[in-house]
Amino acid sequence: MKALALLLAVIFFVLGILYGLGKIGFLTASGAGHAHHVTHLVVLWILALLCLIWARFQK
Amino acid sequence: MTFAQAIALAILQGVSELFPVSSLGHTILVPALLQWHNIDRSDPTFLAFVVVLHLGTALALVLFYREEWWRIVRALVRSVLRGQLSQDRDEAVGWRLVVGTIPVGIIGVIAQDPVRRLFASAAAAAAFLMVNGAVMFLGEFLRRRQHAAARASRRIEQMSYAQSAAVGIAQAFALLPGISRSGASIAGGLLCDLDHEEAAHYSFLLATPVIGAAALLEIPRLFAPGAHLAGLEALAGGVVAAIAAYLSVAFLTRYFKRNDLRPFGWYCLIFGALCLVLAHIGVLT
Repeated sequence: MKALALLLAVIFFVLGILYGLGKIGFLTASGAGHAHHVTHLVVLWILALLCLIWARFQK
Repeated sequence: MTFAQAIALAILQGVSELFPVSSLGHTILVPALLQWHNIDRSDPTFLAFVVVLHLGTALALVLFYREEWWRIVRALVRSVLRGQLSQDRDEAVGWRLVVGTIPVGIIGVIAQDPVRRLFASAAAAAAFLMVNGAVMFLGEFLRRRQHAAARASRRIEQMSYAQSAAVGIAQAFALLPGISRSGASIAGGLLCDLDHEEAAHYSFLLATPVIGAAALLEIPRLFAPGAHLAGLEALAGGVVAAIAAYLSVAFLTRYFKRNDLRPFGWYCLIFGALCLVLAHIGVLT
């Protein structure tokens, strides 16, 4: 489970970077505009952080 | 938007955000009922004003539960540093709040705009308000059935993580105008064997990160091109929304010690039906 949590954390973090750089845009289908762009990025990184916390709890 | 309209909207937002009657539905229906045609809900200035109202509401919730939030945050930090869960009550509540917030965060970011575009009309808000009333009656009915089966009430920290996530998913239905965030989460809590007081408590704690984070992430709207928010209006609106929200949560925490969701269910059914008829005959647009 720890490996899965770490893998997910890396995936969400990388997706956040790619999204921020505009390389992927699958989330922008729900809305345009600067505020929502930032929101999607922040949510992806929060998910990455939560996965790291999840990994921390796995022995 | 006049100053009086700004104050009225602030009171409406502060009260209806926490009462289980849908703030989004009311901010669509009430201006339409009062024929406030000068308010354009897509105008950047109006959207910036709404951000201020949400910040005021979130601030009121943080202030009301300040001691509990302080204990929860400290317990969560200790838990992460230790890398181990303990039997601490604040820690258990904190992790259930984290788990309950994740679904609404993800669903909200992905679905908020298309859902709101699709159901932005007064008729849709009125219809969903009636659905909201029915959900509250259904929650009460199922809760009574569980009570009749002699199932003991649980406390927040006794909920499973799956139940916490389920309440979070129920909360996400509030993206639909007319469906109340607190109504959905209180009804969800009742179905997880919480009593009314605990369900309302969990709902209000769950509201704080959701409303607060949504408002913080929307702060760029304050500086969006075309947003000309008057300082006095914004300040007064934020303060009034905060006071209204604080008084509302103080009232509701007392109310749910002895009472249930049914009065709000009746209100939603009657007001929703009235608005639906008015929309049908063309009075409400």
